Amino acid sequence: MAKRYGLVVDLERCTGCHTCTIACKVENKMEVGSGVRVETVGGTHRDSPAGKYPDLSIYYLPIACMHCDQPPCRDACHAEAIYQRPDGIVLIDEEKCDGCQECLPACPYQALVYDPDRNVVRKCNLCFERLDQGFEPFCALCCGDQAIFWGDLADPESGVSQLIAQRSAYILKPEKETGPAIYYCPPVERRQAKGTLGLDSKEGIKFPKAS
Amino acid sequence: MSLGRLVKAEPGEKVVRTASPLACGPGCGILAHVKDGILVKVEPGDFPGTGHVCARGLSTVKLVYHPDRLKYPMKRQGARGEGKWQRISWDEALDTIVQRHREISDRHGSSSLALVMDLMGILSTDATLGFLGACQGTFILPAGCGDSAGPCADRVCYGSPWWYGEDYTTQFENPAFCLIWGNNPAETDSFKWRRIMDAKERGARVVVFDPRFSTTASKADEYVPIRPGTDAALALGMMNVILDRGLQDTSFITKYTVGPFLVRSNNGMFLREKDIAPGESEKHMVWDTQTNAPQAYDMPEVAPALTGVYRVKGEDCKTAFQLLVELAQEYPPHRASEITGIPVDTIIRLAAEYATTKPAASFRGMGCQRTFHGDLTFHAIITLAAITGNISFEGHSTFELNHLAFLSRGIPNLMPLLQMYEAILNGKPYPIRALWMARHNLINQDPNFNKITSELVPRLEFIVVADMFMTTSAQYADIVLPVCSFYECTDVVFPVGNGSHNYLQLQQKVIEPLYESKSDLEIAASLAKRMDMDGFLTESEEELIALLLASGHPSMEGITLEKLKESPLPPATYSLPAFATPSGRLEFYVERLRDFGQELPFYMEPRESQRIPLAQKYPLSLLTTHTKYRTHSMFANVPWLRELDPEPTLEMNSADAQARGIQDGDLVRVFNDRGEVKLKVKLHQGVGAGLVNICQGWSPGDYVEGSHQALTHETINPAQQAIYEPNSALYDVLVEVEPVGEA
Repeated sequence: MAKRYGLVVDLERCTGCHTCTIACKVENKMEVGSGVRVETVGGTHRDSPAGKYPDLSIYYLPIACMHCDQPPCRDACHAEAIYQRPDGIVLIDEEKCDGCQECLPACPYQALVYDPDRNVVRKCNLCFERLDQGFEPFCALCCGDQAIFWGDLADPESGVSQLIAQRSAYILKPEKETGPAIYYCPPVERRQAKGTLGLDSKEGIKFPKAS
Repeated sequence: MSLGRLVKAEPGEKVVRTASPLACGPGCGILAHVKDGILVKVEPGDFPGTGHVCARGLSTVKLVYHPDRLKYPMKRQGARGEGKWQRISWDEALDTIVQRHREISDRHGSSSLALVMDLMGILSTDATLGFLGACQGTFILPAGCGDSAGPCADRVCYGSPWWYGEDYTTQFENPAFCLIWGNNPAETDSFKWRRIMDAKERGARVVVFDPRFSTTASKADEYVPIRPGTDAALALGMMNVILDRGLQDTSFITKYTVGPFLVRSNNGMFLREKDIAPGESEKHMVWDTQTNAPQAYDMPEVAPALTGVYRVKGEDCKTAFQLLVELAQEYPPHRASEITGIPVDTIIRLAAEYATTKPAASFRGMGCQRTFHGDLTFHAIITLAAITGNISFEGHSTFELNHLAFLSRGIPNLMPLLQMYEAILNGKPYPIRALWMARHNLINQDPNFNKITSELVPRLEFIVVADMFMTTSAQYADIVLPVCSFYECTDVVFPVGNGSHNYLQLQQKVIEPLYESKSDLEIAASLAKRMDMDGFLTESEEELIALLLASGHPSMEGITLEKLKESPLPPATYSLPAFATPSGRLEFYVERLRDFGQELPFYMEPRESQRIPLAQKYPLSLLTTHTKYRTHSMFANVPWLRELDPEPTLEMNSADAQARGIQDGDLVRVFNDRGEVKLKVKLHQGVGAGLVNICQGWSPGDYVEGSHQALTHETINPAQQAIYEPNSALYDVLVEVEPVGEA
């Protein structure tokens, strides 16, 4: 069966530490920008929460190229520089890319970045060279939160497929019908304390009378 | 060397396992990729079972090849801080240092030569200290720059061999409940954070107390906002509830703590056998309920009373636990609520949950102890853990290295950081006239910037800075020396004992020192040579490391340089006693603190709390928290991280901003009587009313004007001074904020 590589990101574990962002720079030698950006889902600023103190929330959303089944960026590229491998990985041929950036607005996830130094558009390539040699994507390796998982989405037995099923992982912007290959596990519900936990106990120390 | 796993390397690349000694704490393992002598890439170096490198660690490549690195020694031209420098040779730099130090030492005595340094490899540290000892100089202990208040309590209550006794309340294999006190490990300690999230995944409930809604708080099951600096009152309120309901762990208190020990009413000391029968032992006495008489605590079949007042030789004696019960009585939930701002119901509910959901871990951050009475904060949290038996006996192993081998020529005077101010101004306890700052950016990171620059710096006759960059401190130096990065020399990295891992690691040299930079060892050795300390530090790095490892201590059994080259190593099978206190038990009642009235943990209002008169003038509490983008002032100059966090901001909530006519993005002046800083406001609803925060690490050059350290103070807490080291109460600061106009 054909492989379909993709990522699962656990939003419960992701702390927005940007290690993936920097890891991508390191692995793909990107001085400015990165193939992975981490969005704050919260207040108006990076790292600021939504809500009113103290009822607040903040999540982080790492976004990379979704390696879509139907990549709109590919269709927008007049130079035919963007192509898809049989395993689903979408790549940009930097020899063909002329830096026109027409693909940038075509991506519903704003996952493409223009590299002015090289006059090409760049994006996450799922570390395909690493995958081809049996290594995991560099962002998944470096993620200290253990929030990024990679694998074969076409194999129902794979770790990522099972994680998607167990955690009801979802895709972003399904209405765009591009078939993205990055799934997100939603944060788990906050747990309440169980039972009375001894609050009904009357066995206490007799406090001496205050003097 | 084993890399711990398969590693993808490009053709021509060599991969070397090394370790980071940087002062973030965890001591990360690092796999460094080198090609043609150039460090090209960094990736996580695993420990058995774990290992990762954060965004900062991955960015160290950009520190190494940063264009602003100090490249050669320089001497000051013009006035201090003017920024005019002249390149000089190492010979001239070292000769000048030796000559100036001799002159100053001749006039003021050798104790006038002071050195401060931050965490670095053990060899660098020991060599530098050893050299200072040989000069009979003064070492300025650096933990007081924010990290020494809580650890005072760890020392007296646990007898912790570590600077920081975090293992005692966190090293549970499977915690069922996690309380996180003013700690943001999601940003500052990825090892600790991974353990918390693993526990959470296994079903542990996680509760965070913090005045600011941190990343860690955002991941918790319950976020409980607390008024800054009031954690001790919360812990005492919880103890009140626990004791009132009888939820304490009587057996643990009796067996492992000083709870049953009798305390004399006359002097507050523990009753000892010799107090009853002169000439007898120092053994602590308990009240035996079977014989109705005082007995030595370790008598066979003794059945100690845990509460009560007993008359011994005409003197009333209460058990230490009785005294704690009486203290806790003063903190009923409504009072704890009034102090902390936490609802009564929440205090009661969490107290019961903490006492009955075992094991329950307490993660204590450095944040919750950065108020003036931070020692009492840790003391109270430890006591809460002790009366519920939520204390771990695991993880108290250590490495005893051969530090003494480096101190053979003399031992330096030791002086806490906060005493430096008086020492420079008034000569007490040492007449400091020369200051050497080795990788410790003192002028930027320590309190009261204006006092340091306008009063201390002019009193110093000679200032040397050895660092990688022209830091704020280096700008005030007379001589700056370029030191190499940790990739450019060999050393040993010690785990710092904050529960991250317990491996000794080799910091293997990966590349040659860049430019004219030298290692700290080489600098110390070159100076020793010039000062005719014949034979001192003349061995090679490897010989010195072998010497360091050969302590003969059981913890070091079988640990050799050759084996460290293969992989990081845990200590040999050797464990410390659970509690290295005078009694061998957990001492929530501390005899030596009775002079300060702090033998038991009680609540003291922060020095600059909003409930003191000064708050009418300066109504806002200022925090200067740590962040994922920097480690202290390190990494602030790395463009990769600067892309993510470009400039300093003041976090402020909308209501406080509105009341002052401040809009998001406005330029503001934050000020108090000590100084000011100008920066942009970032509206942030995660800081409560009356609170503002600056994520620290920035230098004066990054601000529009001033420094956040111009707002902080260096007031010494005498109880902390008596135990270990007084702390900078960096989060105990009142300020006011006013708009300056559009940014």
